[in-house]
Amino acid sequence: MGAWGFVSLAYGIVYGAIVVYWLFLKRRFRQVETELNRLRASEATRSDDKS
Amino acid sequence: MTQSIETAKKRKGILGGLALVAVAIGLYWSLAIAPPDAYQGEVQRIMYLHLPSILTAYLSYFLVFVGSGMYLWKREKRDDLLAHAAAELGVLFTALTIIEGSIWGKPTWGVWWTWDARLTLTAILLLIYAGYLMLRSLIDDENRAASAAAILGIIGFLDIPLIHMSVYWWRTLHQPPSILRPDKAPWENVHPAMLTALTISFVAFLLLYFYLLSLRYRVGEMRHEIKALRVERGA
Repeated sequence: MGAWGFVSLAYGIVYGAIVVYWLFLKRRFRQVETELNRLRASEATRSDDKS
Repeated sequence: MTQSIETAKKRKGILGGLALVAVAIGLYWSLAIAPPDAYQGEVQRIMYLHLPSILTAYLSYFLVFVGSGMYLWKREKRDDLLAHAAAELGVLFTALTIIEGSIWGKPTWGVWWTWDARLTLTAILLLIYAGYLMLRSLIDDENRAASAAAILGIIGFLDIPLIHMSVYWWRTLHQPPSILRPDKAPWENVHPAMLTALTISFVAFLLLYFYLLSLRYRVGEMRHEIKALRVERGA
């Protein structure tokens, strides 16, 4: 492998890994946000029923 | 409440956009503008990734150290959430540093890996904080997990001065610092175009880091809120 091959490999792995982590984090974020909104909505319904 | 969530989302979006622009400028400077190194040639361009990623990892572990200390002192959940989020990102950036270093090591040293003091201590740093994340997932009681992890987070930070000084204390294959040298200012030791590329790359990594940290912190915060709501409902 030539010098540019090593450089491309390093840059590809680093930015590739960061993008994969970002996508993974975005997915976790959406899942947790949906779950929280669902819980908040059901909590609001319960307190409405009580009153 | 909805307005503050919207403002926070907008801020994250701006930070993400700035990070993207900085990464693009950093790539252009690192790969097209900065000259090749007189001895190593083009392969030295890996330095524009290697140094920013390890400095970002150090910053992350500093936040773990501060967050952990504050949590043990004040017992406030937000400090633990910060330490946890920073530890996860620290592990990512340390792993990337080791991979980049390995790719840089092959054409310059002739090996992918060697048990050099600095490399070994960096691998230990990765193991400590990977252990930190595992420890949190192994203990069921959230407060006990946070306290145990905080102690490990503080002890683990002591490895960083050892890593920095390892090139002075032991005979190592790893070169001594080019930028963080006690005897010379960076601009006396590095070509201005190289220093500019390094600075832009570092700023890009910092912006990227704080963008990812804000996302990861919010995930932790929402998880904590979910747990609290479930406990409240169960009570």
